[in-house]
Amino acid sequence: MDTTAGDDAIRTERLAKRYPAAAGDIVALRGLTMSVRRGETFGFLGPNGAGKTTAIKLLLGLTHPTSGEAMVLGARLGDRLTRRRIGYLPELFRYQDWLSAREVLGLHAALADLPASSRGTAIDEALTVVGLAQRADDRVVTFSKGMQQRLGLAVALLGAPDLVFLDEPTSALDPLGRQDVRAVIERLRARGTTVFLNSHLLTEVERVCDRVAVVHRGVVISEGTVADLTRESGAVRVRVAGVTPAVAALLSRNGTAADGWHVVDDIAEEAIPALVASLVAAGARVYAVEPIRQSLEDRFVQLLRSDLSGVSSDASVDSSRSDAP
Amino acid sequence: MHLLIVAVLTLREAARRRIFAAVAVLTVLAVGLTAWGMWRIAASMQQRGEPAVEVAGAFAILVLLLAYMFSVVLAVGAAFLSAPAIASDVESGVILAMLPRPIRRSDIVLGKWIALVALLVAYTFAVGAIEFTLIHRISGYLPPHPLRALGFLASEGTVLLTLALLLGTRLSPIAAGITAIVLFGLTWIGGIAQSIALALRNDGVVHAVTALSLTLPTDGLWRGAAYALEPAVLAAAALTDVRRESPFTVGAPPPAAFDWWAFCWVAVVLYAAVVSFQKRDL
Repeated sequence: MDTTAGDDAIRTERLAKRYPAAAGDIVALRGLTMSVRRGETFGFLGPNGAGKTTAIKLLLGLTHPTSGEAMVLGARLGDRLTRRRIGYLPELFRYQDWLSAREVLGLHAALADLPASSRGTAIDEALTVVGLAQRADDRVVTFSKGMQQRLGLAVALLGAPDLVFLDEPTSALDPLGRQDVRAVIERLRARGTTVFLNSHLLTEVERVCDRVAVVHRGVVISEGTVADLTRESGAVRVRVAGVTPAVAALLSRNGTAADGWHVVDDIAEEAIPALVASLVAAGARVYAVEPIRQSLEDRFVQLLRSDLSGVSSDASVDSSRSDAP
Repeated sequence: MHLLIVAVLTLREAARRRIFAAVAVLTVLAVGLTAWGMWRIAASMQQRGEPAVEVAGAFAILVLLLAYMFSVVLAVGAAFLSAPAIASDVESGVILAMLPRPIRRSDIVLGKWIALVALLVAYTFAVGAIEFTLIHRISGYLPPHPLRALGFLASEGTVLLTLALLLGTRLSPIAAGITAIVLFGLTWIGGIAQSIALALRNDGVVHAVTALSLTLPTDGLWRGAAYALEPAVLAAAALTDVRRESPFTVGAPPPAAFDWWAFCWVAVVLYAAVVSFQKRDL
């Protein structure tokens, strides 16, 4: 495995995790191969049981891989000193509820080896960013679930880490809270922090992520920029005026027309200039040509369905169950 | 450094969760009741004009029974305090937020162990000192080696505490606590069975119980405490007549090799707890 890839914050190769069980191994992660570049906000998507949380736990050294390799911030998995540069908000967040929010952050500041002189400032800043400054000295046991998730976010942000893992960071938050988390992620991106975001809220992922990977049954089935993933292959919308019978014939050859916008399916990107030239030659006035994009959610569902139809015939070959925690 | 942070956190948790307060109230209650009972016994013996040697004899037995009760409280308390120390952090998810920090898993195990052992030792010697002082004031009797006895009692608690911590790295808090207590009970029964087997000269049972006692050295350590507390006359009686041997009348102290064995046992089980926690998938 190439460990010199300095631009990658995370790089995994065939990373796998199986849990032994009486009824056959439970496959949590079949073979994860992906890379996350430094400074990017990376969305990690997948249905329940796809292995997302297992992948994060492997990357953090909480769980040991069965096979495969991975590097995080240029170091091997679980490297202790590298963990100084990592922040993590777990999916099942829980903090010492007998401590106050400030004390929880004080504990994590000490565990993260932050210099004693800067701990107070770092804690105040984290509390302010997540909107908990007013409740800083209240015990966590008095916090609502949403406030505990905000505290978890503050813990993850503490000490300006280079890489932040957010596992379902908005699961307990109301729309206002989600907006705040989005602002926090934007802030991290502006600072150059790599954000690894695991979320079911695909509209949020679509808004904040530079690139995404879709994981299903323990493997990445698609990876790329949000724009790449959501572009419908070979479909464009063309807005034209002066539709002569010749122009209509050209458009209807592989498309449909509606409200002045014509949808042209199955057209390769390099064929678009020739189409425009033909339309103009046939007397049409071309105002716009736009690639048609799907929503990330539609694309996500499409990918899963196509993967399911592709693997269903393989199910009898592999007796292992995929049931990631 | 991280080890100390975990140790201090463990002590703070005990204080904040009012474990100190609950234990202090129960201890004051127990010490108060036993002191009152002993004062009444001493008063009635003196009223009847019993000689001082009879009073001392009665109080020697009372001290052994009290110490035995105290040893059970210590062992059960140590197991139930130690079993959830790691297990409940794993079960609740608190550990998921802590371990991605640059902390070694061994710091978590050792930090918690140090804090709990410190609590156990401080409690054993504090309560033991109060009880022995009260007994001396009431009856004039003081056992032969009170500090050594407290050392054995604290060691017995430490053995069970370490075992429960190891079990807590893999089992749920309640399962770890109950398993430790059941094993403690087994060795206790084993100790009684050994006394009977000695009287009946049944070598097979004696050897089996000796093996059990080495596997979990709580009963052997209790016998060290009992020997340190009993008057020489009781020890001599048990030494010369095996039928008098029991968990409360011990003929000879455990050999020095056993003390070393118990020390090494704690070290090995603690090391096993560290390795078990290091290898655990969370």
